[in-house]
Amino acid sequence: MPSEVKMPQLGMNQDSAVIVAWLKASGDKVTRGEPIFEVETDKATMEVEATSDGYLAGIRAEEGADIPVGDIIAMIVETADEVAEHASASVETTETSKSAEGEVEPEAKPEPEAAVTKTEETVPNESVETPAAAPRATSGPVLASPLAKRLAKERGVDLAALRASGLPEPIHAADLSRSVAGGQSQLSARVVADALAALLQRSQNADRTTLLAAFTAGAWRQVFDTVDVTIAIRGLDGATAQYPAPRDGETGTAAAISLVDLCDTRLQAYAPAGGGITISVGEGDSHFALTLSFNEASLPMPHAITLLDAIAARVEDPIRQLI
Amino acid sequence: MRSITLSQAVNEAIAEEMRRDETVFLIGEDVAEAGTPFKVTSGLVEEFGTGRVIDTPIAEQGFMGLAVGAAMTGARPIVDLMFGDFLFLVMDQLCNQAAKTHYMSGGKLNVPLVLRTNLGATRRSAAQHSQSLHALVAHIPGLKVAMPSSAYEAKGLMKTAIRDDNPVVIFEDKLMYQDKAEVPEDEYLIPFGEAKVLREGRDVTLIGTSSMRQVCEAAAAMLEADGISAEVIDPRTISPLDEATILGSVKKTTRAIVVDEGHQNFGTTAEIAARISEKAFYHLDAPVIRMGAMDVPIPFSPALEDLTVPTAEKVAENARRLVAGELIHAL
Repeated sequence: MPSEVKMPQLGMNQDSAVIVAWLKASGDKVTRGEPIFEVETDKATMEVEATSDGYLAGIRAEEGADIPVGDIIAMIVETADEVAEHASASVETTETSKSAEGEVEPEAKPEPEAAVTKTEETVPNESVETPAAAPRATSGPVLASPLAKRLAKERGVDLAALRASGLPEPIHAADLSRSVAGGQSQLSARVVADALAALLQRSQNADRTTLLAAFTAGAWRQVFDTVDVTIAIRGLDGATAQYPAPRDGETGTAAAISLVDLCDTRLQAYAPAGGGITISVGEGDSHFALTLSFNEASLPMPHAITLLDAIAARVEDPIRQLI
Repeated sequence: MRSITLSQAVNEAIAEEMRRDETVFLIGEDVAEAGTPFKVTSGLVEEFGTGRVIDTPIAEQGFMGLAVGAAMTGARPIVDLMFGDFLFLVMDQLCNQAAKTHYMSGGKLNVPLVLRTNLGATRRSAAQHSQSLHALVAHIPGLKVAMPSSAYEAKGLMKTAIRDDNPVVIFEDKLMYQDKAEVPEDEYLIPFGEAKVLREGRDVTLIGTSSMRQVCEAAAAMLEADGISAEVIDPRTISPLDEATILGSVKKTTRAIVVDEGHQNFGTTAEIAARISEKAFYHLDAPVIRMGAMDVPIPFSPALEDLTVPTAEKVAENARRLVAGELIHAL
């Protein structure tokens, strides 16, 4: 049975680690307990040992790569013959293995006798290229007291957003009260409606609220440089939907921002007092009124301005969304 | 109300119970004419005679075993163990015999025995006469453990202990024998498993056993000057432990420091802190801090010995850090 080599958890709050150097190359014989690679966490550099005997194969993480804890980064196979199998398997995986592929391929059919000397050669060479320290994680668990975590959950406050806004860790209950009691700030924008109105008229399938959610998500991704963002679409009847809609069997994730589409009413803006980030869209004579309601502790003003401006730009010129 | 010393309070409790119940007797080293090295039992032999106030040879296993047997057969012995450190000598009689007899006899036998002994460092008595070993016996099911924090508690808890039908170990702080407190002349008992809230507060709960109660009270006074409101709780008995009072307080203040003079490792502070962490976790705004005696043999050197015990200054400093939301033990 081949066994997986995973990025180990080396510290309490560590969610990833940088591979400093592979001490063994693909195809090398390894014995249980023998160091096979070196990792650097935010505290220390450590050697990670093989957990079984066999041959190292299918290395799919490059030196210098920051790998999440638990990710499979290589395999240990029982016989030298299996090494090639796993090397080619790793090529099929798309992301990190592309760069690793170059290393794996030439070493996929090692001369058993040459393996030892090869290791001796490669180790010093590779450690010259040791990358700088891992960047300090801004993702990962937020350091907060149990009480602060419970209150945040009860009040729907996003602790990660509080941290991102510059609140120092650990977060305590008082920090939360201050930020929630601090009240909501508001920004408004007025956008010419022509382009969006035309688009909606041309495309019978396009749903305005969904488009607005897509604009909001697109702006969010642009401003905060994230891949995924969930928008809560709050209906006028109080119902809430999610954008993007959760797949079957999934419960959906916490929404970063709420959207309220008021265009079918005479209303212009909605700014809830309860906290969170809300964008409301009202429709006037040939314009849309965009209102962003937010707490400056969780969304600092400069970010709020950039965000609302980015949403407004998309409403004004929907083609932007496609770029 | 009159004030008497802790030593007098214990003496009164024993005398009152010996008058009330003729099956009660006192046994130990130097308890009769010498009245113990701390003069706690002075005068008792004059009133009750050498038949009920019994001096023994230096043979702890011997007189402890004798007392267990006497208790099983109808007497109510009070065993005086001169130093808490000598507990190690009576472990089998106490933990294997006295603690388990009621259970193993299916309730047919009781062991109404009180072991009174002491704890506490900074008396310059060196490593073998300065330990606070109450956690050792509190670990044993079948033993109750009382830790009086003043003359008032010493008397009320001692009388309750003597009337208990199964073994109780009482630890008096050997540095508190001359400390005075208000003690009513009328009879009173202090029930086991009832903590006392000595001071109400909002920001942090300080839980202090025995003389650490005074340390916590002094710390609370210092903290008040800084605008920090500390609640002070004395558990009075650590087995049984009044969880409800402690948890109720911590749920209110969201922070706790547990102070006890036993060694910190695997100690009373650890037990109480663990219960708070388990049962009030979602109410905690800071880690629960343990403050026990330093995990070293208690030094003979006065300068070093003083460093091993929690002080009011250190308790107050920790409380300030907790309330300020400092990062403590988080990384």
